[in-house]
Amino acid sequence: MLISIIMGASVATAFLGLAGELSFRIAMEMRNYGANILVEPMAAEQGGFLSDADLPKIKTVFWRYNITGFAPYLFGVIDISAGTKREKSVVTGTWFARLLTSEGEDESIQGVKVIAPWWGLSGTWPEAVNEAIIGAALAKRLGVVSGEEVTTTKERRTQIFRVVGIVTTGGYEEEQLFAPLATVQSLLGAPGRISRVLVSALTVPMDDFGRRDPAGMSKEEYEKWYCTAYVTSVAKNVEEVMSGSRAKPIWQIASAEGSLLTKLNRLMILLALLALTAAATAVSTSLMASMTERSPEIALMKAIGADSLQIIIVLLGEILVISSVGGLIGYLCGEQLAGFVSRSVFDASLQPSLWLLPTAVVSAMTVAMAGSIMPLRKALAIEPVQGLKG
Amino acid sequence: MQRNRWQFHLVIRALAYRRGRTFLLIAVLSMAASLATALGIVSLTMEKRVAEEIRKYGANLIIMPEKARISIGSGGLNFGEFSEATYLNQVKTEDAIIRSGIQLEHSLHLSGTLRRGAADILVEGVNFEVIRRLFPWWHIQGSWPNGAEAVIGSRLAARLGIKVGEELELLGVAGVVRPRVAGIVNTGGEEDDLLYLALPELQQVSGRSGQLTLVRLLVTAGGERLKTAMDRLGPLLSGAVVKEVRQVARTSEGLLAKVKLLMMLATVVVLISAGSSVAGTMSASILERGKEIGLMKAMGGGRLNILLLFCGEALLLGVTGGITGYLIGNVIALFIMQTVFAAPPGFISWLVWASMGVSLFLALAGSAGPLVSVFRLDPVRSLRGE
Repeated sequence: MLISIIMGASVATAFLGLAGELSFRIAMEMRNYGANILVEPMAAEQGGFLSDADLPKIKTVFWRYNITGFAPYLFGVIDISAGTKREKSVVTGTWFARLLTSEGEDESIQGVKVIAPWWGLSGTWPEAVNEAIIGAALAKRLGVVSGEEVTTTKERRTQIFRVVGIVTTGGYEEEQLFAPLATVQSLLGAPGRISRVLVSALTVPMDDFGRRDPAGMSKEEYEKWYCTAYVTSVAKNVEEVMSGSRAKPIWQIASAEGSLLTKLNRLMILLALLALTAAATAVSTSLMASMTERSPEIALMKAIGADSLQIIIVLLGEILVISSVGGLIGYLCGEQLAGFVSRSVFDASLQPSLWLLPTAVVSAMTVAMAGSIMPLRKALAIEPVQGLKG
Repeated sequence: MQRNRWQFHLVIRALAYRRGRTFLLIAVLSMAASLATALGIVSLTMEKRVAEEIRKYGANLIIMPEKARISIGSGGLNFGEFSEATYLNQVKTEDAIIRSGIQLEHSLHLSGTLRRGAADILVEGVNFEVIRRLFPWWHIQGSWPNGAEAVIGSRLAARLGIKVGEELELLGVAGVVRPRVAGIVNTGGEEDDLLYLALPELQQVSGRSGQLTLVRLLVTAGGERLKTAMDRLGPLLSGAVVKEVRQVARTSEGLLAKVKLLMMLATVVVLISAGSSVAGTMSASILERGKEIGLMKAMGGGRLNILLLFCGEALLLGVTGGITGYLIGNVIALFIMQTVFAAPPGFISWLVWASMGVSLFLALAGSAGPLVSVFRLDPVRSLRGE
């Protein structure tokens, strides 16, 4: 009986402990699809630029904790040569994995490495200012391998980069050369400028309210919209700190993420419910079974003059002790179980949540009590004579 | 023969006599079996459903000419392009896709420039029906085009000051088209900078009939399917290459694998915990029958006989529990899949055996264990009730 209570309580603890963590983990998992907000200059068509001085402010906005990463980009067409081969190509200045300190905020690592985990990189990420990574298609045409040097020229400025990695993505990146932002800014003669910022943010799925046009909202509605982490409101947030910018959701990523997230969350909730019901049923049935074994004992108690109340107190007291011990052990096992699941699926450790301890113990008691009502009633109906005769 | 019938009779009567207990045991056994069935159905069909959801992220493979144009961009974002374009042959490419025999959906694209007044506009020819189905992230303001109508990207529309309903005059190498703008598309991606026309129309007006610049393929994710598709398509295409869109393909595979692992672990945990409780209940119900066993022994029943009797009971309980469990499990799975994915789960008939197996295993394991300890008892003592 103790064992089944322990089992039930640990399943309950594990599922409840995971449930909170799970939706966050799955949301983080989906951020692997890459950025969901694009920040561009308001006047992109006339060759407008954003300023890189505004970048640290992205980590100070209202929704800063929802922003998991961002990367600035500066593009320019350059002549690139390696050995005897010469091509016209695109150089992209960006952050790879840069330590960012914003005022009053924790340090964080920002850059392509954070927001684009799907990049297949053979080699290492650039660290020095003259190191670069090159797209696979461009590398093939130029005949460049890791460790070699390429020369880039724009107007009369020249910069030599050492290629430290080759990137495969199946997309546009394969035709570009990626180098540290500052170096590219001086190569292109555009100090302090950036052309795009890609932001990756945790958002809540769009609902009917979120889809409404904020321009037509009343003050209270606008406040509610602003304080909900819709992808549009986070974009608005970022837009406010980047001067001369326009931020918009990348709907391909944002809308798919929203619908998938809603569904997986609902699935997890249903599963947890199913598991809890199963655990509760299992516990109460095993209680019922063990109570009926004891009918001679109850008959004896009755025969020596115990009234119903006394019998109930004795039996319930016993159940309370067993279920609180079971709840405690179950909580400990459940924590381990949740930690194991979290580690093996998401590679992340789980914070032990102390509030689950009372929950586990109380729910073990409740289930045990509920399961003992039927057998108790039966026990009280026992005729002492018959019970003792056997 | 007589003996067998008698034993069968005994089993039935034993179950019928202890009606309440039999009912309880069947209930817990079918609960465990229904859990096994429901979780089995959900985790087996969920992969397919989640994979379908993931399709909303868009194409995971692309076919492009071997020496394609150079585009600038990141992930799904295109920021412009330069250098000479090369083309795919529409007939050959479609033929290769059919011959590869892979289950996939594809969308054909031809991009080019058309002249409007004094400026060149980037135009893409597509099949709007396919776009509407495969690229659900397109937000159209206005309506989807029919016939010779066009859709314009929001950024381009703002730049040129074009409104819904306006008629454009576009000049190509081989003629003029005058499409009406049916809608403005807003995706936050490369689509915002393009004008979309029906594919045949663009092919005709730009003198590129039967030519394409890009084919986007959507292969349902999961396992090795993508790699197989690439390996099979590659040799069938001449002058073209198949590429994996890593942003979508890799991430989806990772996500799917994790969701699957999670479901499996949850299933195992729930089954073990429920199973152990059920086996416990089973054994409690055997232990309380010590007296009965003692009586049988006293009457000259051998161990094998008694074991057969109890196993017969467990067998009956297990089978009944397994079948009811399968039925209940299907209902639970139906409910879960309906609420979450709004689609029926589909029935997996072999799970009836899994369900039966779980129920039988629990019933037998629950009764065999305690029987061994009951056998050690002296019949005299157990009859005396010690």
